Amino acid sequence: MIIEISHFLSILSTGLFFLVGSFALTTNITPYTSNLISRTYSHAFLFLSSSFLIYIWLAITDNFSVQYIANHSNSALPTFYKISSIWSAHEGSMFLWIFFLALWGFIFNINIKNAEVLKPKTMGIISLIIVGFLLFLLITSNPFITILPIAPLNGADINPVLQDPALAIHPPTLYLGYVGFVIPFACSLAFLINGDPAAKWEKLANKWSVSAWVFLTVGITLGSWWAYYELGWGGYWFWDPVENVALMPWLAATAFLHSLSVSIKSSQLRTWTILLSITVFSLSLFGAFIVRSGIIDSVHSFANDPQRGLYLLAFIAVIIATSLSLFVSRLSLIKPSGNIKTFSKQSFISINNIFFVTLIFSVMLGVTYPLIYEYLYDQKISVGAPFYNAIFIPIVILASIFLFFSVDSKWSRSIDFKIFTKPIVLSLFFALTSTSAIYFIFKTNNIAILLTIFTGLIVIIRYLIEVWTALVYKKYLNVFSTIAHFALGLLLVSISFNSLLSTERALNIKINEFEEYKDLTIYFKDIRVRKDSNYDAIKAEFNIKDKYGNNFDLSPEKRRYFTRGQITTETAIHISPLRDIYLTIGDQLEDGSWIVNVQINFLIRWIWFSACLMAFAGIVLIFSNRKSNI
Amino acid sequence: MNPTRKKRLYRVLIVFLFSISGISLILYSLNSNLDYFFTPTELKSVNIPAEKRIKIGGMVLEDSVKRYASEISFIITDYENSINVVFEGIVPDLFKEGSGVVALGFIKNEIFYAEEVLAKHDENYMPPNLDLKNDN
Repeated sequence: MIIEISHFLSILSTGLFFLVGSFALTTNITPYTSNLISRTYSHAFLFLSSSFLIYIWLAITDNFSVQYIANHSNSALPTFYKISSIWSAHEGSMFLWIFFLALWGFIFNINIKNAEVLKPKTMGIISLIIVGFLLFLLITSNPFITILPIAPLNGADINPVLQDPALAIHPPTLYLGYVGFVIPFACSLAFLINGDPAAKWEKLANKWSVSAWVFLTVGITLGSWWAYYELGWGGYWFWDPVENVALMPWLAATAFLHSLSVSIKSSQLRTWTILLSITVFSLSLFGAFIVRSGIIDSVHSFANDPQRGLYLLAFIAVIIATSLSLFVSRLSLIKPSGNIKTFSKQSFISINNIFFVTLIFSVMLGVTYPLIYEYLYDQKISVGAPFYNAIFIPIVILASIFLFFSVDSKWSRSIDFKIFTKPIVLSLFFALTSTSAIYFIFKTNNIAILLTIFTGLIVIIRYLIEVWTALVYKKYLNVFSTIAHFALGLLLVSISFNSLLSTERALNIKINEFEEYKDLTIYFKDIRVRKDSNYDAIKAEFNIKDKYGNNFDLSPEKRRYFTRGQITTETAIHISPLRDIYLTIGDQLEDGSWIVNVQINFLIRWIWFSACLMAFAGIVLIFSNRKSNI
Repeated sequence: MNPTRKKRLYRVLIVFLFSISGISLILYSLNSNLDYFFTPTELKSVNIPAEKRIKIGGMVLEDSVKRYASEISFIITDYENSINVVFEGIVPDLFKEGSGVVALGFIKNEIFYAEEVLAKHDENYMPPNLDLKNDN
């Protein structure tokens, strides 16, 4: 009964959202109607969220009459994982996605006054998008299907690699980021429909866009971290198609935030900003399509069904076609106000946008080219890291150099451009000496790495000088921009050192024997079998000494889970600020020795730290009182 | 043509030229960094340059896995043709005899030197272009 109530509530909310959407887009906006739209939206959201909360309750109370819960949860799981089992496969993740979509709309609804001109249309567009996804959920991937008359007693088990706190948080955070861009998208469309160039949709959308960007940044970082320690991938980025489809909206969103800051300040780049708002949201939907349709093999692809992919593709096509034709028909509306002055902040941001678009285009090509190629030539191909490195390294280096010179630029003014100002010379000098020092110490001839370190350093030092002058001379400092760009510099330096210094090696080693690798002395103490409630494991114990006099134990495991017979590797990682010692255990050889993989990963924590710092910068902006920053 | 129009035309041309050269650079680097995928049978009919990185996929032949120190060698087969593979390192958890595998690496003297070995985390995963029944 309770299942049917939940099901019914979501159908009811579909109808209500449809009502809000069609009414908001067709009616004349008066104080009365906008009030009505806002209230009806809140009621629709009330129904949808009740439906979702009941669904969570069903999962917590082990209601295995629901087929989806029976297949993805188990009565032995802790409550936390019972809840997270909802987003461990397709139907439930889609449900969560829609709930978040409606949640963003709801928070927007209660935060923005009804008197705001663009609000009713914005709510209408959000509602129609929710309707599209709800129909997708109810028609192609219904999570409410029941098993009758007899429900299984204990349910199935969720994939053990998914039973991990990072993974329980990673998808929701990422989804919050993806769907959050519905707000700027809906605002810009509302602006186009409304047809009044004086309306400031950019101001309305600003903080919402930054919030979504923060979630997306954190979500991607969590995914990277999880793959590192839980999947045993041993790195931070693999250019996996699903990583790429999350990276594209992130790049587009970052470009969008930059362009938005210009449009808020001076009404320049307005067309471009609108186009980007459409791009960001389309890329988020494209990400959903790639992951859900299963046209690309990846860690993330669930068991899929072509009907779903087709529906999503059609839905995305409708959204893109509608928004683009609206955009074209209203192009005359958005007249640019004057040319952009050379060497003004606007000019640098325009250049930055060109770089971002190039990156997005390249990633898109890398993701879709194998599909096109196979269709045309019937030959499977894949695009790996070398392609992305060839594109990203030069562009990121160039972009950072432009960023470095943009620090001195002013809004809307063409400054008398001097190359040799004190801060510039100072940062170039320090960066150059440190890079040469690195060149001599590590004896590397890798130009790409040295250049990346150099550009990372000039950005870091340039912004440190900014902070210094702000503190000493009380000069104005844009805190958000400073933290975010400082984090970028840090990211570049950490990534460079990581790829310069990190090494790995497979050793074979017997019990009670020592093995040397680099500066490490690895002693194999013991190996034993242990049993847990839902798996047995082989647990090896190692003692490792390094040249700094550190002495620590590491115990990598191999587990076999009872429910699926699935074997997983549990990595053992010794974390220190400078480097991670990363151990995984393989198979036993005939002579009794074991294969052990040792990785030394330098500065890998700093990579995630930099990403978190960027997200933190976004939070600073959201809670600052100024209307626009960057 | 009046001067403003001429100026505009030049601008459009410059933008066009830049985009074209940018796109061709991207496509060029894409083309030189593609990894082609072959099954052992397809390998027989194509000629692959020695330094070219490729992917091969198939099943790990039963009783073909041998380990020497940290090296592992096995045979990838589609039950028509096969190829010997050598790999140094730890094979993934789902790697086992009689199940699907994809390897990335180079061919030298009829032996495939793998840099990376992938077994999909889905236990029912089949490498592309193979329609064999797999009962594990």
